[in-house]
Amino acid sequence: MSDEAFTGFAGWLAEPSDPPVEGRPDWLEAQCSLARERLAGLDVPNSKTESWRYTSLKGLMEQDFARAGENMTALQSDDLEEVLIPGLDAYRILLVNGRYLPELSAHEDLPSGVRVAGLRDLIANEPDLLRTHLNAVAPPDSQPLFAALNTAGMDDGLVLFVARGVVLERPIELIHLSVGLDEPRVAQPRHLVVLEDGAQATLVERYVSLGDSIYCTNSVLELALGRDALLKHDRIQMESPNAFHITGLYLTQSANSHYQGVNIGLGASWSRTDLNCRFQGEHAECDLQGLYLAGDRQLMDYHLDVLHSLPNCSSRETFKGILYGRGRAVFDGRVFVAPQAQKTDAAMSNRNLLLSEQSEVDTKPQLEISADDVKCSHGTTVGQIEPEMLFYLRSRGIGASLARRMLCLGFADEVVQRLSSDALRDHVSEQVGQRLESAPMD
Amino acid sequence: MTSARAVDDIVKSEYEHGFSTEIESDTLPPGLNEDVVRAISLRKGEPEFMTEWRLKAYRHWLTMREPEWAMVNYPKIDFQSISYFSAPKRPEDGPQSLDEVDPLLLETYEKLGIPIEEQKALAGIAVDAVFDSVSIATTFRKTLSEAGVIFCSISEAVHEYPDLVKPYLGSVVPHTDNYYACLNAAVFSDGTFVYIPKGVRCPMELSTYFRINARNTGQFERTLIVAEAGSYVSYLEGCTAPQRDENQLHAAVVELIAMDDAEIKYSTVQNWYPGDAQGKGGIYNFVTKRGDCRGARSKISWTQVETGSAITWKYPSCLLRGDDSVGEFYSVAVTKGRQQADTGTKMIHIGKNTSSTIVSKGISAGEGQQTYRGLVRISQRAENARNHTQCDSLLIGDRCSANTVPYIEVKHPSAKMEHEATTSKISEDQLFYCRSRGLTEEDAVSMIVNGFCKEVFNELPMEFAVEAQKLLSISLEGAVG
Repeated sequence: MSDEAFTGFAGWLAEPSDPPVEGRPDWLEAQCSLARERLAGLDVPNSKTESWRYTSLKGLMEQDFARAGENMTALQSDDLEEVLIPGLDAYRILLVNGRYLPELSAHEDLPSGVRVAGLRDLIANEPDLLRTHLNAVAPPDSQPLFAALNTAGMDDGLVLFVARGVVLERPIELIHLSVGLDEPRVAQPRHLVVLEDGAQATLVERYVSLGDSIYCTNSVLELALGRDALLKHDRIQMESPNAFHITGLYLTQSANSHYQGVNIGLGASWSRTDLNCRFQGEHAECDLQGLYLAGDRQLMDYHLDVLHSLPNCSSRETFKGILYGRGRAVFDGRVFVAPQAQKTDAAMSNRNLLLSEQSEVDTKPQLEISADDVKCSHGTTVGQIEPEMLFYLRSRGIGASLARRMLCLGFADEVVQRLSSDALRDHVSEQVGQRLESAPMD
Repeated sequence: MTSARAVDDIVKSEYEHGFSTEIESDTLPPGLNEDVVRAISLRKGEPEFMTEWRLKAYRHWLTMREPEWAMVNYPKIDFQSISYFSAPKRPEDGPQSLDEVDPLLLETYEKLGIPIEEQKALAGIAVDAVFDSVSIATTFRKTLSEAGVIFCSISEAVHEYPDLVKPYLGSVVPHTDNYYACLNAAVFSDGTFVYIPKGVRCPMELSTYFRINARNTGQFERTLIVAEAGSYVSYLEGCTAPQRDENQLHAAVVELIAMDDAEIKYSTVQNWYPGDAQGKGGIYNFVTKRGDCRGARSKISWTQVETGSAITWKYPSCLLRGDDSVGEFYSVAVTKGRQQADTGTKMIHIGKNTSSTIVSKGISAGEGQQTYRGLVRISQRAENARNHTQCDSLLIGDRCSANTVPYIEVKHPSAKMEHEATTSKISEDQLFYCRSRGLTEEDAVSMIVNGFCKEVFNELPMEFAVEAQKLLSISLEGAVG
């Protein structure tokens, strides 16, 4: 495999396909080539592209990336200790630079009816298992640029199947670890999660790094929930401070299913997250929560697209942001209610705390409603810490910077509390606290 | 309640200003090129600077593309099939006083209920009426000139007050601003000019009525209001057009300039012909309205009631440049039948301690499509900026739609901004409550809708508020059965 560097990310776009995974079946090959064709026809978004009007791709496009190769680091289990969360009891799947590492994963004793595997292994050995679901939630002919890029170069990732009625008590922890290499690389993990009717599971998805190297993660998740299924999904993005992070999450929900997603964004210098939700049955509920911290020269860009095409479904979109230094955040939420989707209940809110002169937030919460018997609302606020609150704490002998930090943590807590376990809540609170401590507060 | 039958009833409610007036008019043949632009300028006997200004705009327009981002669908406009100038033919040099104005014209205005004649002057409103492309008559000139207020057609102003017009024309909406504003700059035929000198409180409310009468014409008027330091003016605008099967284009530009401590209140009741139930005909209302709060403590307030037009594309905006300046936007928009509206506002906070309020009420019935599109931008220097935005949509029937597309850009940490939006229908509970007290269903709906819009109607001058309420109930006549 060649290690030559391309000129910028554009080089990647020009020639994105990795050598195909061995034994890739024809149907998958066809899907990948469909994505390649789509890629060839798509322009690189610019500031005139509505969904990219506040986010520049310049930095990413100008960055040189080498082709990702085989796993080149000898990772020891000691290295892993650094990134594990104390007290989190979970089955563990480890991906290093986009590749599944079974040696350091730990998912023995899974209950029957639960299947956990690496995508690459399944493609090589049991491709028929994937046929119904892979690329079904996010069809390649409609994927946006980065998702199409991921599909064209589909590499490795987590595949999780939970059979009908199976309740998985212990969470599945998916750790995506990036390890610094000589040259910046692009990893394109691809995950597939299928919960059959009545199944329940908790997925903890984490992006972490060793060191502060430059790299790019372009991940795509396809999540399919059957009738009455329940998925709790905690996503914690703590990439290296110099990394580029892109996520495209595609979710379909059958009748009566519940999805509870919590998105925590703390890392990467530039990150873009697209969350797409489609209802395929009535009375389904989708809860999307988010917390993002953008510090100096950091960009956090969230796009939500929730499509209510059937009656009686409900969705909640609650995103909160704290910005300091030259941090920037973009929130672009869209709730679409089709004419037949009566009795839809949708509420979107985006609240932001701006702590510094140079920070900036651009928010665009959109509603598109074509049914009359619906309850839809959205609310946005942008503000700073209330002087009264600060005064209250200071009058009780608490120093100004600690008081500010406490108030910020309190602001973040509404979302942090939605995480699925105490271990995660403590971990995220601690990380948020640390970042605020080092943040210039004036 | 809001059954299909009820919705059909709304669609059937007729357009009451749909008559047309048989008047001989002087109309340029359809088509647009530099010669047409020159011909318009020549016909209006404009000074050289205006001709050049128009040509510059026209040349720029050729390089622009029609905007496509709005959530409206309509067949492509053939700009060569439109006549860009139409004026009622006037004997000799035109009217010297109201008595000389063509009685047929006056009759038209009478039908529209405009207080153009002296007897109606008791209403106390000075009116500038624009019929097709030219200004017909301006009442109350004398009273106004005693106060030092200039209120005349813009073509007159170009001749009589070029020094006042030249520095301001195009200073808020430059010809490069957007496609339709650029077209307007090239071919605008008339409009209104208002100048309020320093410290003057305009003694009466000023008003313009616009009417599109001739077939196959476009109306491109331009309004310029300059309020000098410490002055105040309240300005009203109303529009109607005859019922015709083809679509007619209306691309207006309104520029407001408020100096230190000045206040401009601009109210619109827009009732252009909306087209028939099948979406045939109707006005394309593509309007650029912008106010510039240039001075400290200045205030510009937009109030609009939009019930007409097949397609509305309109975003009255405020540039809050002066420190402590205030911008307001109050809007009621109704879409029914096949009407489409993409409307909202922009509040650009530049000065310190600036504040803005946005209240937008959208009512969508039949197959109406409505989008609120707004921008609130707090720029890097705008310390202590404050914004509150409220946009509510009311849906009547299950074939209409209501969209909200707010853009919020904040670059200063001291900004306080809130945005709220809700979508609802008239609830069974509300109706039941009213009906159990003996109200008919129609009255109940009218009452609920009026309550929904009250916040906006309160901002209208009294006469307009009455008219707006009437218009609203006519628009929604038979909304329930």
